[in-house]
Amino acid sequence: MPWFTFRFDNFAYSFLSVLLEGVPFLLLGSLISGLVDVFVSPARIQSLLPKNRAAAIGVSGLLGLIFPMCECGSVIVIRRFLKKGLPLSSAVTYMLAAPIVSPLVAISTFAAFKGQNPMVMTSLRLSIGYLIACAVGFIVLRLPAAAILRGEPSAVRKRAGLSVSTAPAEASPDFATLAAASSLPKKLLLAIQSATADFLDVAFYLIIGTAVASVFNTAVNQEVILPLATDPLLAIISMMGLAAILALCSTTDAFIAASFTTFPFASKLAFLLFGPVFDLKLFWLYGVLFKRRFIVALGLGLFIVIALISWRVSAMQF
Amino acid sequence: MNKLFSRWLPCLTLAAWSAVLLYFYFSGRITAFLHPTFRPYVVIAGFVLAAMALVFLAFPADADCCSSAECGHGLSRLAAGKILTFLVLLLPVTAAAMFSPDGFGKETILNRGIIMDASALRPRGADKMPPSAPELPLPVNENFPSAVAPAPAAGTAAAAPPDYLQRTPDGRIVAEVLDLLYAAQDNALRADFEGKAIELVGQLMPDTGNNGSGKRFKAVRMFMTCCAADARPVATLVECDTLPDLPEMTWIKITGTATFPIENGRRLAVLKAEKIEKSSPPEESMLF
Repeated sequence: MPWFTFRFDNFAYSFLSVLLEGVPFLLLGSLISGLVDVFVSPARIQSLLPKNRAAAIGVSGLLGLIFPMCECGSVIVIRRFLKKGLPLSSAVTYMLAAPIVSPLVAISTFAAFKGQNPMVMTSLRLSIGYLIACAVGFIVLRLPAAAILRGEPSAVRKRAGLSVSTAPAEASPDFATLAAASSLPKKLLLAIQSATADFLDVAFYLIIGTAVASVFNTAVNQEVILPLATDPLLAIISMMGLAAILALCSTTDAFIAASFTTFPFASKLAFLLFGPVFDLKLFWLYGVLFKRRFIVALGLGLFIVIALISWRVSAMQF
Repeated sequence: MNKLFSRWLPCLTLAAWSAVLLYFYFSGRITAFLHPTFRPYVVIAGFVLAAMALVFLAFPADADCCSSAECGHGLSRLAAGKILTFLVLLLPVTAAAMFSPDGFGKETILNRGIIMDASALRPRGADKMPPSAPELPLPVNENFPSAVAPAPAAGTAAAAPPDYLQRTPDGRIVAEVLDLLYAAQDNALRADFEGKAIELVGQLMPDTGNNGSGKRFKAVRMFMTCCAADARPVATLVECDTLPDLPEMTWIKITGTATFPIENGRRLAVLKAEKIEKSSPPEESMLF
């Protein structure tokens, strides 16, 4: 068997199935983003979190428990939160924690690992995922926003993406002022238009990421990676690589991880920690918001830290 | 040009995506792509996207799709870049929708590796539990709910298997590939199938690993967790006097007797075929 056999029909089938699964969640994230855009003021966002930046990071990492969001949606939501004045460190913490620290993920992980230490796997996944997200938040706290974000987060926000019909002719309205002064139907219209802009913007990256993942998913002979299961460190690294390639949704990835019965416990934990925070799809999606250099550094950092933690876990004989 | 980017292309994109989602849902093709849990989200998203397209049609935007201040992707600053953006949004989805089959070809199935051992699907820790049928995830065929299962053929009532097994009108057990794989691993479940008349539907694939006599092939199905992208091929061996003269991946219906021999220290599920015939794909081409 050759290691690579590409066929368009196989690719199209896999590509379409991921999109059919992912688009509703992307749309949900966009709609929430649109509603936040119009109905939630920057002052309200600021008041949600403690004034102390460090405490705010800790709380942001737990927001997924009451405001669950998968990784596709969380990128859009934090982009909106950032524009509303949420500190960058808190936004990044929420973005990385929400796809893991969520009741949906806890339930699916517990169910998928029935018979494979489900409580230990679920607890480790959520707690380590939370701590890693907070650690990244603290690092981001010390970095200048200009080194991380692609564009300047404008203090007075111009219209995002698709411009609204109610905008004045010069097309540079202060959107918050415009939304605040509008009637409820007009606000809903603005929210839908804002959501549409976000949806189209991020869908661009979702398509590219899904296409890349689908090529790997259908054309690469997966037997190539199976011999790696026997060595603990190689198993961890290969499962993390697989998580990055498969680009699964964090609410359901536990079922896939659990099915890799030849791989050790710690490598599955690595799969479940790394996939929701960094994969081929997210590499492109993060490009909506972050500079490419930051994305690469984030990916490498997360890869090394999660690999080391999982390697340490592998010594615990679960 | 502005109107193209601010009104027509976004509207067209939303409408096209909506059409794809609604088409796959209402045509029933969605069954080959998604687990039942995710299917309702597709139709909801399809209607929401259609509504968003209508909103855009009725209340057109008045500026470019991507303002330079906030647009995520760098292609937006030039007209050519904007067109390319919309091509990326439109072309792959519509091309995939038009040309995608409702199943993987043999290349991807071989790339993923065909699973013939239920322990590769079942959680490892489950091996420590005493084997018992109720603990195993026995797949359910919604076309044959046990409550309305046809009565067994005359003369077989005394040996009637438990209610959860589905049967054909002439008394054969309607089994799925997964039933036989799990039965090979579990004594209690095996008793329900071993030596019994079975009817099974799968896709024909040659077997090279357990085929010393040259009279065996595989009946393959795809086992899906969430969507087709994560589906894994599972197969049971079929033994027959003459290999069917059909192309690989053809859907076939096999009637025969379930056996579970131990070969090379491993218990295998082998269906000894009495009749093999070409079949149409089942309503749910995936196993869950």
